[in-house]
Order: sequence, then C-alpha cells, then structure tokens
Amino acid sequence: MTAFIIRRLIYMIPIVFGVLLVTFVLFTVVGGDISQQIAGKNADQQTIDEIRHEYGFDKPLFLSWDSQFIDHFKRAVTFDFGRAMDRERISEKIRRGVGPSLMLTGPMFCGELIVAVSLALIIAFVRGTVWDVSAVVICVAGMSIPYLSFIIFGQYFFAYKLDWFPIIYLPEEPMIKSVGLPIVIGIIAGLGAELRFYRTIMLDEIRNDYVRTAFAKGLSTSRVLFKHVLKNAMIPIITNVVLALPTLILGSFLLERFFGIPGLGYLMIEAIGSRDFFIINAMTFIFSLLIVVFTLLTDICYALVDPRISFK
Amino acid sequence: MNGINGTKWILGLAAAMLAVGCAKKGDSASKDEMILCPYLPSRIQTLDPGNARDMYSMEVAAHIYEALYVYHYLKRPYEIIPLLAEDLPDISPDGLTYTIRIKKDVHFQDDACFLDGKGRELKASDFVYALKRIANVKYASQNWAPFDGKIVGLDDFREYTKGFKKQWDVDYSRPVEGLQAIDDYTLQIKLTRPWPQIVEIVLTDTSTTPIPHEAVDFYREDIIRHPVGTGPFKLKTLQPSCFVELVRNKNWRGESYPSEGEPSDKENGFLDDAGKPIPFADRIIWRVIEEDQPAWLLLMRGNIDAMDELRGIPKDNFDKAVTVERTLTQSLIERGLKLQIYNDPSIYWVGFNLKDPVLGKNLPLRKAICRAIDRNRFIDLFTNGRAMPAHGFVPPGLDSYDPDIVQSGYSKYDLAEAKQLLKQAEQIQGGAIPKLNLAMPGTDTLYRQYGQFFQRQFEQVGLELGIDYMDWPTYMERANKGQCQMFMNGIVAGCPDAIDFLEMFTTKSFAPGANKFFYSNPAYDALYDKVRVMQSSPERVEIYRTLEHMAMDDYPAVFILHRVAYTLGHDWYKNFKPQLYSHGLCKYRRVDVKQREEYPALLKKLEREGK
Repeated sequence: MTAFIIRRLIYMIPIVFGVLLVTFVLFTVVGGDISQQIAGKNADQQTIDEIRHEYGFDKPLFLSWDSQFIDHFKRAVTFDFGRAMDRERISEKIRRGVGPSLMLTGPMFCGELIVAVSLALIIAFVRGTVWDVSAVVICVAGMSIPYLSFIIFGQYFFAYKLDWFPIIYLPEEPMIKSVGLPIVIGIIAGLGAELRFYRTIMLDEIRNDYVRTAFAKGLSTSRVLFKHVLKNAMIPIITNVVLALPTLILGSFLLERFFGIPGLGYLMIEAIGSRDFFIINAMTFIFSLLIVVFTLLTDICYALVDPRISFK
Repeated sequence: MNGINGTKWILGLAAAMLAVGCAKKGDSASKDEMILCPYLPSRIQTLDPGNARDMYSMEVAAHIYEALYVYHYLKRPYEIIPLLAEDLPDISPDGLTYTIRIKKDVHFQDDACFLDGKGRELKASDFVYALKRIANVKYASQNWAPFDGKIVGLDDFREYTKGFKKQWDVDYSRPVEGLQAIDDYTLQIKLTRPWPQIVEIVLTDTSTTPIPHEAVDFYREDIIRHPVGTGPFKLKTLQPSCFVELVRNKNWRGESYPSEGEPSDKENGFLDDAGKPIPFADRIIWRVIEEDQPAWLLLMRGNIDAMDELRGIPKDNFDKAVTVERTLTQSLIERGLKLQIYNDPSIYWVGFNLKDPVLGKNLPLRKAICRAIDRNRFIDLFTNGRAMPAHGFVPPGLDSYDPDIVQSGYSKYDLAEAKQLLKQAEQIQGGAIPKLNLAMPGTDTLYRQYGQFFQRQFEQVGLELGIDYMDWPTYMERANKGQCQMFMNGIVAGCPDAIDFLEMFTTKSFAPGANKFFYSNPAYDALYDKVRVMQSSPERVEIYRTLEHMAMDDYPAVFILHRVAYTLGHDWYKNFKPQLYSHGLCKYRRVDVKQREEYPALLKKLEREGK
C-alpha cells in the first residue's frame, strides 16, 4: 500500500504542473495585463507601469529564469500567493474564509448525505409502491426548481415572515445561528438529485441474493438495510462523498452571497466579478490540489471498506 | 476504524464544530448604546485613505480619518467649512499660495503603532506626509491624478521616488517646495498655476486626510486594515465583505451639531439637535449586503436604518415603496418610513469613439443617433422613472447647470429628422452605414435589456447595432485603448463645481484619462485652459456653459439621463438629510432608541391587522 501511495504521489507532480500551466495560460496569457484595472480609473502611465512592475507583468511570460510563469510556479509551490488586487494577502483572505465556508457546507453536506442515504434505503425497500413513485416525482420536481428560487423563498418565508432565522449573517451572534437557514435550504435544494442517485445504487444492491438470505434468516429490516445493504453500497457512496469533500472548502457561491456569509464562495464570486486573477488562480490551484489528494484518498478508502480490493 | 470509534470521531468533530459555531463573538451591545445600522451595497476595498477611491471604502474611512475641510451638513447651496483646518485658507493674490492653519490639540486615536500606545497630536507635517505618500510612485496610489503637475516640486518628488525598490525606502523628509509645514500648525501649499478647485476637489477628499507615518511604518501593507485617524470613530471589527464596526474614538476633540441650515430644515426636524455635541452614536455597524432582497427585508424588519445616499430603493421593490404620484405607499407610511427625493448630480451616456473611422468624421450620423433615442422610454423602462432626460452633460444641482439647455434640442427625439440626417451621413460615408457596435460594461440581464432597447431604437431609423457585453474591467481596458466604437458609461459629481465634467472633453484627458470619447477641439481646450484657473464667479459660470455647448454641438455622445435619488429611512433615524459631496455623515445622525425598540411591536400589530 505504501508503494501505491508513493507512486500516486509521484503521479501528482505532472498533474499539478499541468494545472499550473493551464491556470497560467488562462489567467495571465489570455486574461491579459490587469495593471490598468488595479491602478484605477484615471491613473497615469507611470502608476500603471509601477503596478505592472510590482506585480511582475513586465517580465517575460515563459522564456527566462525570471519569468511570470516561474513566479506563478514559485507562488503555488510555496503557498505564498502574494497579494490580491486590493493588496491584502491572499493567504489571509483564504484563511479567514475557510471557517465560515466549512461551517456552512460541512453540516449541509453531512445532513444531505445522511438524509439522502437513509431515505434512499427506505425508498428502495418500498420500491414500486406509491411512496416510491411519490418520492421520485418530488425529487424530479425539486431538481427542476432553480437553486435561487429555494434561496429567495426560504429567506423570505422562514427568515422574514416566520422569523425563525436571521435574514443575513450576524457576526456578533454565534455562527450556528446565521448558517442554520442556509444549511436547511442547501439540504432541501440538493436532496432531489442526491436521493435519486442513492436510490439507484440501493436498488441495485437490494436486489442481491444476500439480502433475501438475510431476511430469510430473520434479521430485522433495519439491520438488513443499514448494516448489510449500506455496507455493500459503500463504494459508490465513498466515490461520491470523498470527491465532494474538496468542494466543501470552496463553500457555496449563492448561499454565501445571499446570506452574507464571508466564506470562500463569496470570495471567489467577488474575485470573478472584479477579475482578481490572483485570487482565482490561488483558489483554482488549491481546489485542484485537493481534488488530486482526495482522489487518492478515495482509492485508499475503497480498500478499507471492501476487502476484495487490493493495491497493486 | 471500527464502527464505534468512527462514530465517536464523527460526533467529536461535530461537537467541536458546534462549539466553535456557538461561541459568542465579541461583546454584545449594552442596552444604553446608540448603534447606527446603515448598510453598504458592496465590500470595501481598503481603509488606507491614500489609496481609497471606491465610494464604499471612502464612506467608512471618512468616519475614521478627517480632511482639512468639509461641506456644511445642512446649508444649501453647499458651503465649505473647516474641519481639521482652523479656518478657510489664506490665498495669495496670485492664487498660487495657500496657507492653512490647522487646529491645535487634535490627536490621533490610540494605537499600538505609537510608542506608548497613546495617539499623538496632529501636526502640519502629517498632511505633508499624506500628500507626499500619494506622490510616491512606488505606492501607486489611485489618487495621484488630480495632483499631476499642480504642486510645485511634487512631480520632482515623484520622479525621485522612482529610484527606490519599495515605497518604504523613500525618504519623506526630502523637501518639496510647494508642500511645507511652516510650523507644527501651519501648512503651506504652492501651486504651479491657480487651481481654484483645490479645496473642493482634494482638501475635502478622504485621500488627503492625515495619516501618521508611525502607523504606515508599523503596519506597512496591512495599513489597509489598520486605520489610525483623528476622526470621531475608530475601527473595531472589519470583515470587508460582510461587516464593518466602528466605535467612538475617545480621543476625538468633539464638535457640535450645526445650528444653521436651509429654511426648510427646521420644519423637517434637521435642526432639532442644533448645538448638541456630536457624534450621537456609540457605534456604527455597516452590513455589506450585495443582493437586493436581503437588504429590503432587513429594512422592513428594522435591522437597517435606511437605504441612504449609497444605494436607493431596489428596483424590484420600488413599486412596493413609491406610488405613481411619487409619494410613499400607505403600507410603508404605516411602518413609519420616510421618503426623500432629490437630484443626483450624475450623467449617463452612450459615448461615441471619435477616433472611429465611421463615427469620428460623421457629425450627421452622431446627430441622427441622438435623435433616434427615446430617453423618456428608457427612463420609464429601466429606472422606474427615477431619472430625468439629459439635455446636456452638466447635471442639475451643479452651479453651472443651464436650465435653458433644453431649448438647444440636443436630446430631441425626432425619428423623421434622424432619417433625414442619416441620408447626409450616408453621403459622407460614401454608402450605407455599416453595422455599429456598442460596448456594455456588464453581462447581466439588465445590460442585455439595455442592449435590446438600443438595438430597437437604432432599427427604427434603419441602423444595425451589435452589442458587446463584457465585464467592467474588460470594458475599461478596451475603452481606454479606444477599442470601443460606442460605449455606455456615466459619472457622478464629486463636488458642486462642474470642472470634472468639462475636463472629460479636453485633449489632455484622452484615455486612460477621463476623455474616452477622444474628443479634441483646440478652441475648447483653449477656453478650458482659461477657465480652469478662474475663481468662482458669474463669468466663470458663463464660460462653463459656453464650453458645454461647444462640446454638445459636436455630439460626442448620446447623453441619456440624470438620476433622481429616492432614499428611504425609518422614522427613528434622525437628521437623515442627504448630502451629496461628503462622506462620514454618521456623526450627525441619531437614532431614537425607544422608537426603534417599539418597531417589532408595530410590525406585529400591522400583521394582526393583515397589513
């Protein structure tokens, strides 16, 4: 297993390099020189030139040891992403945003997973009945409603009309209060797609012989479903879960913006809106790195939950 | 990991997250505290005044930092009064030397950047430092443009700074002839040529507010989050994208609420607090709310005090708030909200790039386009009627606004004349007018609707129009390089003098300066050079108006509208008088705490009554 992990870690090097190359081409070569934008609306040429120098836009793109690509590479491997367009350190912005994003997406993800998997097991168990059909219809309806509609309705009805939650993030109050409603909205809005996905997995599993055998041996329904069926359905669940984990750190763009939660989703939306390529670059790199790492973790988890899988 | 351990681990993690999430942050407000709750429609970029240029950063910074002068809060027409200056400047007869005495016993707020943590006294040299810092090319301030070539020796200082690697390496003690602290309380500014607007444009501006060099040296680049000023408030919490909290600066010298104002101020209650010490509030809490729905819901719930000068009533909520007669709806009157309507000194246009081979040499074509745009329809469709058609580019409210400019017919909507003009335009072009292109500084639905509107208007006279939708930075980049054939844009006045509007059409201001039309008229430039050094007078007003007509005669743009602002505030939010040219107004504003506390009960009562 150690050899496998080392080999996979070595594979990561060209992947990460490729990501760096792509982000550099996208944001520096194609995106162009943003010194005019940083300098402000009526800046003179001197100020623009100075900013160009400060951010290294006056260096050659590739063909030099002191090129923009080498700077880009150095910043990424040292995790020192420099300063954003507003001159605040990007690492500081990211550090500040991780907590609120995880406070929102962590419970949302867990809640959604638990509800979706549990309901999927039950629905798969009662497959073909009116409950199953109703659930599928509700899921499809839920998937058809735009995410934004859930947010607008939820904020208006639960926060404003019923006053069960704050309308927007309250920094002076415990964080849990502010993220309660966004978590509920996130779970409800995402449940349709998740439930349908897990229902399909559970249906495949529940038709197997060992399930019938377990029932024949007199095991309780809950034991069969939650101990045996769930365990055997773990591979696709793990794939789905582990690969979704990096996205949690990125937060939720729309929920964070509507509820004023100062997370990384909000940071990313602002960066895109203001063409702050320094932040977009840093976030893209971190995200891709997390994807690579979590993909490796997924493979390791397969072996942990399924003894039939071994590393070669 | 066995099942039980795994469960424990997950439960432990959840408990830890819950504990972090449930931790109460900061101290809660005491019941006796007066807290103002305005809101910002966008995040703030920086609290470093030398480089603050967006209005939201300036709005917050102006409560922490103070300028030499400020506009009187109540008097109209706007009048400049001293703030950190002792009195108005002594101006030499040639208009070149400004001698400004500054107030004694003004202290910076206490901060760790000072040796003993105690804020030291403000000196004239702090103003010199602030201005030199803006000139430091390594600092790359967004605020340099107004000073370029205007203060004796400052451009040389800027040249000198080029030789350094970092902004911190520059020796600020190097003398600048035109910028001197004569003594601790006297500042002298020498100009290269008369600059009558120096007080209005820069000495009232947040960018020139004094900042202690100790703070800059101590915090370096992090000064953007550690403001150290002389103002009535100081920063307590800053989360740039969601929350800014200021508390009273105990070192502040104190001031009184103005005792004079417009005749209507007494009747409107704006003089009820005359002579009382300010600031009234103990804290100001700005929430940054970028979306309209939460902002509106928070106003209705009473969690924010007003939709003020920074952002009026959201477009989608306008019909709920204002009737067709332009009065407040009954539902909002019952909630105790108050509406104020006033002219916003702004102008929005579709500009022509005069370097463009099709538009640049074809006056009849530009004129035809101006005749083809129905400005009233645009206003009805896109602003809920919150604007007035523009007949020139100087907006109402500025001293040189010409109310008779409408007679000149620059903005006449006349399709027959437009078609007639197009025939002349085709002769100049030597054939049919090719497809034209309009650059839009946004990609959202509203900009697409603007685009469709203009396409329809052009079609009516047989012109084909393509629209390029782009984000703001791309748009700016292209407009500055002269790559947009037509472009939509606008500006808002920063002071009651129209000089900035006139400057937009000078050859010297070609993009990346303000002249993105690339309009060049030697006669205009000569007259502008003459008027820009003139002190305010009726003669100057006449020349301003002549300049406006000169530019308008060449049709450099379709000037579309001047905005009319609608602000909404709760009844408990006192002294809420709109002030167009100053930031930092919260020190004048007060909350009737009792009235605010009763608001939830009022809402419940209205709910019971089904309203």
